[in-house]
Amino acid sequence: MRRFPWVSASAVAFLVILALLAPYLALPDPTRMDLAGRFAAPHASHLLGQDEYGRDVLSRLVWGARVSLSVSLGAALLAAVVGVTLGVIGGYLRGGAEFVTLRLTDILLCFPPMLLALLIVTLFGPGARTLIPVLAIVYAPSFARVAYAGALTIRSLDYVTAIEALGAGRPRIMARTILPNIAGPVLVQFSLAVAASMVLEAGLSFLGLGVTPPAPSWGLMIGAARATMSQAPQLLLWPCAALTAAILSINALCDGLRDYVDPQPAARRPTRLADRTAPGLAAPPSRDTVLSLRGLSVAIDTPRGAIQPVRDVSFDIKAGETLALVGESGSGKSLTGLALMGLLPPAARVEAGRAWLDGIEVLDSAPDIVRGLRGDRVAMIFQDPMSSLNPVHRVGDQIAEVILAHRDVGAADARSRAVALLRQVGVPDPPRRAAAYPHEMSGGMCQRVMIGMAVANGPRLLIADEPTTALDVTVQAQVLTLMSDLKRETGVALLFITHNLPVVAEIADRVVVLYAGQVVEQGDAAETFAHPRHPYTKALLGSAPREEGPPPEGIPGSVPSPGELPSGCCFAPRCAMRLAACERPPPLVEIGGGRTSRCIRWSEM
Amino acid sequence: MSAPLVTAEKLGRRFSSGGFLRRRPGVQAVVDLNLSIAPGDIVGLVGESGSGKSTIGRLLLGLIPASAGRVCFDGDDLARASSAQRRRLRKKMQLVFQDPYSSLDPRRTVGRQIADGIVIHGLLPSRQIPARVDALLRQVGLDPSAAGRYPHEFSGGQRQRVALARALATEPVFLVADEPVSALDVSVQAQVLKLFADLRQSLGLAILFISHDLGAVRHLCDRVVVLYLGRVMEEGPVEAVFSRPAHPYTAALMSAAPSLDVARRRHRIVLQGDPPSPLDPPSGCVFRTRCPFAIAACATEAPQLTPVGGSMHRAACIRVGEDTTHRIDDELHRLAFRNNQS
Amino acid sequence: MGWILRRIAISLLLIWVVSSIVFLAIHLVPGDPAEVLLSLGGSAPDADSVAALRAQLGLDQPILTQYLHSLSHFVVGDLGDSLSDGTPVMSEALRRLPRTLELIGAAALISTAAGVPAGVAAAVNRGGPLGRCFSALSGLALSTPVFVVGSLLVMIFAQWLRLAPAGGYVAFGEDPLRHLLLLSMPAATIALGLWAQIFRMTRSSLLDVLQRDFIRTARAKGLREHAVIMRHALRNALAPILTVLALNVGSLLGGTVLVEYIFNWPGLSGALVEAVNNRDYPMVVGCIVIISTLFVSLNLLVDIAYGLLDPRVRAR
Repeated sequence: MRRFPWVSASAVAFLVILALLAPYLALPDPTRMDLAGRFAAPHASHLLGQDEYGRDVLSRLVWGARVSLSVSLGAALLAAVVGVTLGVIGGYLRGGAEFVTLRLTDILLCFPPMLLALLIVTLFGPGARTLIPVLAIVYAPSFARVAYAGALTIRSLDYVTAIEALGAGRPRIMARTILPNIAGPVLVQFSLAVAASMVLEAGLSFLGLGVTPPAPSWGLMIGAARATMSQAPQLLLWPCAALTAAILSINALCDGLRDYVDPQPAARRPTRLADRTAPGLAAPPSRDTVLSLRGLSVAIDTPRGAIQPVRDVSFDIKAGETLALVGESGSGKSLTGLALMGLLPPAARVEAGRAWLDGIEVLDSAPDIVRGLRGDRVAMIFQDPMSSLNPVHRVGDQIAEVILAHRDVGAADARSRAVALLRQVGVPDPPRRAAAYPHEMSGGMCQRVMIGMAVANGPRLLIADEPTTALDVTVQAQVLTLMSDLKRETGVALLFITHNLPVVAEIADRVVVLYAGQVVEQGDAAETFAHPRHPYTKALLGSAPREEGPPPEGIPGSVPSPGELPSGCCFAPRCAMRLAACERPPPLVEIGGGRTSRCIRWSEM
Repeated sequence: MSAPLVTAEKLGRRFSSGGFLRRRPGVQAVVDLNLSIAPGDIVGLVGESGSGKSTIGRLLLGLIPASAGRVCFDGDDLARASSAQRRRLRKKMQLVFQDPYSSLDPRRTVGRQIADGIVIHGLLPSRQIPARVDALLRQVGLDPSAAGRYPHEFSGGQRQRVALARALATEPVFLVADEPVSALDVSVQAQVLKLFADLRQSLGLAILFISHDLGAVRHLCDRVVVLYLGRVMEEGPVEAVFSRPAHPYTAALMSAAPSLDVARRRHRIVLQGDPPSPLDPPSGCVFRTRCPFAIAACATEAPQLTPVGGSMHRAACIRVGEDTTHRIDDELHRLAFRNNQS
Repeated sequence: MGWILRRIAISLLLIWVVSSIVFLAIHLVPGDPAEVLLSLGGSAPDADSVAALRAQLGLDQPILTQYLHSLSHFVVGDLGDSLSDGTPVMSEALRRLPRTLELIGAAALISTAAGVPAGVAAAVNRGGPLGRCFSALSGLALSTPVFVVGSLLVMIFAQWLRLAPAGGYVAFGEDPLRHLLLLSMPAATIALGLWAQIFRMTRSSLLDVLQRDFIRTARAKGLREHAVIMRHALRNALAPILTVLALNVGSLLGGTVLVEYIFNWPGLSGALVEAVNNRDYPMVVGCIVIISTLFVSLNLLVDIAYGLLDPRVRAR
């Protein structure tokens, strides 16, 4: 949660208090003329001097604030009440109410605000009294729009359906459920409307169509001072400064409120540690090892200090092999994949570790070298294929792009290669589909396109991050079949990141089980699933429903958050086999058969 | 078997879309659905995305109106109920959602949200409400201290428990659970499934369990209904349907789901293509475009649900009368063999 | 192409509704325009002259007749005659409209040319000194009303530095250099606020797009950062920028009212202010109908551009 914008809030509060206290401040009468004192310079009784009629400038500024604020606050309040009522009713009830709200705002928004104001002033004549309803009409549509959009979003959320299912009436839902949840945007819109009304009021007064003289108003003062700006430029500067400062503080409050009510943590730029060397880890990778990862740790800086969602992860993948990286949410499996690609989000950074792809170091190399490998020797596909493709480019062009980025071929060659790739990944009618946009294809087809894009340059390693999770079961089966076919045909090494154990059982040769950012067990997939050597692996297998046998057993408790890891074995608090010795961090030990386990009681299992 | 609690007769729902100066064909989300759920029964509703399972859940609760047929709850037609009657019915049936993040109002404490149903229906005097909220939280396996906290302070599994407590507050007899565990981690899924089973045991709840996870349905439900494009393909007792699927779609769905059991993996049938668009369903049997057993007659004749074996096991396939189970098993073996060859 | 036709039809409908509302507003509001008009001098008008003026304006007809009458004239481009000098409103408006359009066009050009690159720079180098500097400047620019900017520009450049004339207009054909000189200050005045809007929208829209999955895909392809920004991010970010531009055309058109007044620029908006002061009803109605039509048409153009930028809109 961001901090409340105290600075701008107190500036606005100061303005409001000044306007409220204007009658009690012992200022000279702002309308009393003193022709002898025309254009008088500042002195003790007139701190900012006197204007062209000898009136006190400071007093007129303070009283002007009162007029300006009362008009703009009044107008914004009226507009908010009318607009929000219309918007919430239209957005929640839909149907006729929606039609009325939308068309009404459409029509009012066809008039530029200034024109609408001028039209109404023409009809009713100028004056502060007419200004409030005028400005309210001008700004009510924007409130209606904001409230409508908010209500429309909120009404489709499950908690609204839940309260409907509980039998709450519509007025109660609108007042108690919808309104509090759109309060943020409405509040922001309110301060926007106050600032905008203030500008419009001043503009109309400036034209002589708003507040009528001799009442003090900043707009009037600016308008009047224009005539005498060569004699007395300060008369122009003071109201300009007052108006700009007032609007600036309201706008700043508005920006601050927006951040405050809509907390999106500001991501930081990656700050790479200079001393990220990892001595003693550099085992020279063997020849058919495509990827060799040693001691990867990823850190994320949070307001409460750095956390380590990935700690000391190591594994190798050979050509033509599928390694499954398995874990629940928060296990660090996706971050591991992104770190290998050099694509960590800005807030995260590689804190330690080395990785060799085909003998090339990737974690510590210059960004340009890693970029040259991406899409060429190492490629990645993601969970949500629809959002992972660019909606504004044709899929064929998106595949051709990755070929053009790494191979010295012409555009036409790349495009025909893209069509061939679409055929290879089983997209029907490839020439026609190459010209389609992603939104014209199903999720399964989009994932095939992503796979085609990934294998376009014949990568040595393919990282797949939950590639079938967003797909239906029957389509998931198609995509899994396609991936194992590709692996068999091209000998690509596959790093398959997933939480789904049955999928692992189907596709993986070897498996690495992650828990709370650490490797807890690794080994041959069939061996590991048949005889797990870590209580977490065993419990996870017991959680997955099987066709035969007893109903699944869950694991009590939940995964610890990276900020609150236990001091010893991370799984100990949920483990049925824990001992006092589990209070100390257990090492990852070799248990034979190429398997490792991070449990001190592995042999008892 | 006792009298059914909830029945749907020839239930249909069409969503029409369109707007100013244009017309669009409607989507027939649910077609001709007949369903009855007895007290204490857990019925699984299985299908892929776009099969209309969530729509059916909301239709049965009367949250959206049916465009054809009717839903009766305890003998009362939902569409014809007076508003007072509807309020009374409303508290007897509740809903639990898939996404534990959007199902709780982020700006109100968990306790107040659980109390909502009690307050709306005036079930208890206000000073007894906190004690009732405590009891509900305990019932779903949470600490009563949770009442004063906000939803964002809880994990996904805990939020799902809170949502369940809120649903139980009005003492419902019928619960629609719309993919209640699919957004949760595997180890937490099993806990929540167990909670559902316990609640059925202790409260005698009837539950419509909507899911795409056949494993979960198999372990929790008594009966299962398989949907494809808004139509029932097969229904029957879980044991019968899972051990001897009579409809090719059910068989394909079961074989497509990845399995931990190595032995089952030989029977793999991969359906080709994507489910057709509900805007433009195929003629006759809607599954025929992806069905390995489709014959010419499938394009002309919309199959009716016909009994298979005994005990209310029915399937909508015109070839169901042929020696069903052997046929599908043989075909699966043949296909698996062919797949291995290629 | 169906979606374009649909948008055009909706726009025409809106223009019809808007002009009807303006007509009804003038006629249904309590108070007789003729009486208001004749009492401008301060003396109470006598009944005969009021009746004569009512007949001249057609106000003695039933309201439906008046409405159909003005609608039929409006369709063929006749908006009536000005009350102050009797010239046809349409020809006067058409004479002045290009000058207002020139002002808006110049301002939009300047602010887009300066705002989009600044926004991209600020988004790519997030938190850098340049971005902060632009952000602060845009905050100030957004908070300074257009007539304050205009008045200050006049004071600084015309009064103190004597670099430019305080205002006025010379046709381009007569003296191109002086025309551009006279154009520069009012255009810059309008451009400042618009620049700030475009800058902010470009920055936030690009920052938003840079978080999307498909940007990660583009990076995973090994594209250069330049290609990621230009080919994948910016095009997706343009649609919201265009929307902001369209929404601001309204306040832009409003801004021209004040700017033309300050700089004595004889455009359509200036004529409107004059007409409001003189209670020249046909002129007010004409100006508002024309400017609203312009506004609706510009929004239509933006909608169409939106569709060309984003294929998903066309499908909707």
